[in-house]
Amino acid sequence: MGNFWTRYKRNHAAVFGLFVIALIIVMAITASFLYPEDPFRLVGKPLSEPLTNGFLLGSDSLGRDVASGIVHGAKTSLLIGFVATLVSVFIGIFFGAFAGYFGGLIDDILMRVTEIFQTIPSFIFAILLVAILKPSMSSIVIAIAVVSWPGVARLVRGEFLAVKNREFVQACHTLGMSDLRIMLWEILPNCLSPIIVVGSLMVATAILIESGLAFLGLGDPNVMSWGFLIGAGRTMLRSAWWVCTFPGVAILITVLAINLIGEGLNDALNPRLKERQ
Amino acid sequence: MKKILTSIIMAGSLLLGSGVAHADKSGGTLSFLVQPEPPTLASYVSTSGPIGLVMPKVYEGLFDYNNDGSMVPILAESYEASADGKTVTFNLRKGVKWHDGKPFTSADVQFSVMEVLKKVHPRGPNSFREVTSIDTPDEHTAIFNLKKPAPYMMRSFSAYESPMVPKHLLEGQDIKAAPLANKPVGTGPFKFVEWKKGQYIRLDKNKDYWQKGLPHLDRIVGRFIPDASTRTAAMENGEVLYAAYNAIPNIDAVRLKERNDIDVTTEGYSMINPMALIEFNTKEGPFVDPAIRRAISVAIDRRFMIDTIFFGYGKPATSALSSNFKATNLHAEMPNYPEKGDKAAANAILDKAGYKRDGDGVRLKAVLDIIPYGEDWRRAGEYLKQALGDIGIQLDLRYEDVPTWLKRVYHRYDFQMNVNYFYQLPDPVLGVHRHYGTDQIRKGTHFVNSSRYSNPKLDALLDAGAGEPDAAKRTAAYKEIQQILADDMPVVNLFELEFLVVYNTKLKGAYDSAMGAYGSFREAYIDN
Repeated sequence: MGNFWTRYKRNHAAVFGLFVIALIIVMAITASFLYPEDPFRLVGKPLSEPLTNGFLLGSDSLGRDVASGIVHGAKTSLLIGFVATLVSVFIGIFFGAFAGYFGGLIDDILMRVTEIFQTIPSFIFAILLVAILKPSMSSIVIAIAVVSWPGVARLVRGEFLAVKNREFVQACHTLGMSDLRIMLWEILPNCLSPIIVVGSLMVATAILIESGLAFLGLGDPNVMSWGFLIGAGRTMLRSAWWVCTFPGVAILITVLAINLIGEGLNDALNPRLKERQ
Repeated sequence: MKKILTSIIMAGSLLLGSGVAHADKSGGTLSFLVQPEPPTLASYVSTSGPIGLVMPKVYEGLFDYNNDGSMVPILAESYEASADGKTVTFNLRKGVKWHDGKPFTSADVQFSVMEVLKKVHPRGPNSFREVTSIDTPDEHTAIFNLKKPAPYMMRSFSAYESPMVPKHLLEGQDIKAAPLANKPVGTGPFKFVEWKKGQYIRLDKNKDYWQKGLPHLDRIVGRFIPDASTRTAAMENGEVLYAAYNAIPNIDAVRLKERNDIDVTTEGYSMINPMALIEFNTKEGPFVDPAIRRAISVAIDRRFMIDTIFFGYGKPATSALSSNFKATNLHAEMPNYPEKGDKAAANAILDKAGYKRDGDGVRLKAVLDIIPYGEDWRRAGEYLKQALGDIGIQLDLRYEDVPTWLKRVYHRYDFQMNVNYFYQLPDPVLGVHRHYGTDQIRKGTHFVNSSRYSNPKLDALLDAGAGEPDAAKRTAAYKEIQQILADDMPVVNLFELEFLVVYNTKLKGAYDSAMGAYGSFREAYIDN
């Protein structure tokens, strides 16, 4: 572990990304202390500029506090980002592991199914799913998970194919271990590093998809999110720039930070890759 | 001989002269915004706003109305009412053809009114309630026989309100399901060509239009652009020339008005008289008790909604009737419509009615459906959620697409409260009775009494108001109607909307009809 951290901190940008995400997580956790009021509450003069009428980042067309929206929206974005990623990584590992380990007909069937999902443009597919399931937190998580797992499945399949004929796996077979046990306890731990790297980047993609959906009005109408703030403010972009700009910056910073972390994880988990370059 | 020759030459030069005059105006394509995309094109079944933007260019009515209220003969050339007001004879225009070439006759009028408008149109049963039969002594005469005089009926012959439809394409079919719905065949200045779902509806000039020299335009394209700022951009770069019914958000309209080539007007809505409101399900769910509905009306800050969401365009409602009915002495201000809202009074009503707050301060929970006609209405829903949260009514918001929403509210009654707007039209009989009358509980018909409110006393008053020839007695009847509704509140009126038309100044001739954007555009032209 110490070794891991030494390698990770060699990448200064990654350390910075981790710092930023930690800040955002703290912000999300303390949202209810920072702004105890419901972020949808009409708390002051509509369309106040930043730093006027007691608004740090201004207010929107109904007099809602943009800063409160961003802080509470962080909760939504991070929650959806992490949960959707966990679900899709789980589905991806399931499909990829079985396809890679057993090969043959199972591989063919599972990979053809994966390809069907890969051929549908993911954002449009997500819009379709949310429209069918009615916008809510759970339907958005499902939609994001359904469109993001194929990448993980292909990656896991590749890793399993590479590892399954190694000597230690053959030794396990000889010892009479069950297939499931070999997959879960022997092969999977050896594939974890690329999965973690891909998963970390998927969090960023999930946050972007969620914002895109909320921007298009397909977010949960009862939950504050960054995409909602941008969507609600976009009609007045020219006269009240702050309503869209600050949540946009929040999305930018978060996604950038997660990408930096992904990069750092890649360096730390695959040290030889780094040294070869 | 010489005389004849002179007259021929004169006629020739006249023709030439008029030809030149038309050459200036004729031609060109008008692109305008249709927001949102209409669910169908059957204007004889649904009065949904976007259908009204498109279909009066294809179907015509017997009359149109000018901004000053005067009647313009369209499919009828004139009418005479008998002394007792119980027979009205329409002399129909000769030489009018449907777009498929068949002649338009009195049989079409009889069929349109008796079989279509009176049966499946949302407002037709009200407009033509006194019509018992229509005689057709010849192809160009239609005689309406009435039970009682119905002067308000003469305000409802526009193409939007009462479109005349071809009998030969509907007879013997289920009218609501007939294929004419999306392949419309009318008599109007423009023919339907195609509807590209999600993109546009195209109408081309009807070269055989009965009025020679009209229409001026070669083509009308109604475009669907779901995103508000893209719509504004399309207006700014001249891609569309006309946008009504707030397709351009008010905040942008205020900005665009400053440009030389774009102007804004609130005219063209006087026959429409729109009212923003909340409909309640009075038969089941949390809003069966009138006290709650009254408390909601009292709690809402109408001025705030107008100023923040509609940028000052609108007037707070003060009763079930629009203040525009002051002109006919029908409007009376009522209690329970405080302009700025009175949350203390609303809380008092709920406390008195015995709705206790739980640990979180919640008295009751409900779902608020929102009319899916744009961002402004979403903001209205978000405002209502906050305002009613303060009096202990916790709302969840629900947005759906237009067909799903219409089905939920008007087909399945599967709603609790619904933000909407209704047109009160030029007379309460046409626009207001349909919210409240027991005979207007019509499952599957849009924009009628979805609250399923039924009050025999009110029904009697509505009947009295409709048939009362004496002005003072009519005023008294409507006052009592407004009192009952201010107490029972099956519908809470929010504010009178003032819609805007945003238009490019090179589009001319489209503003004379009192129907505004629901007019035919037959005299519209592009001035280059």
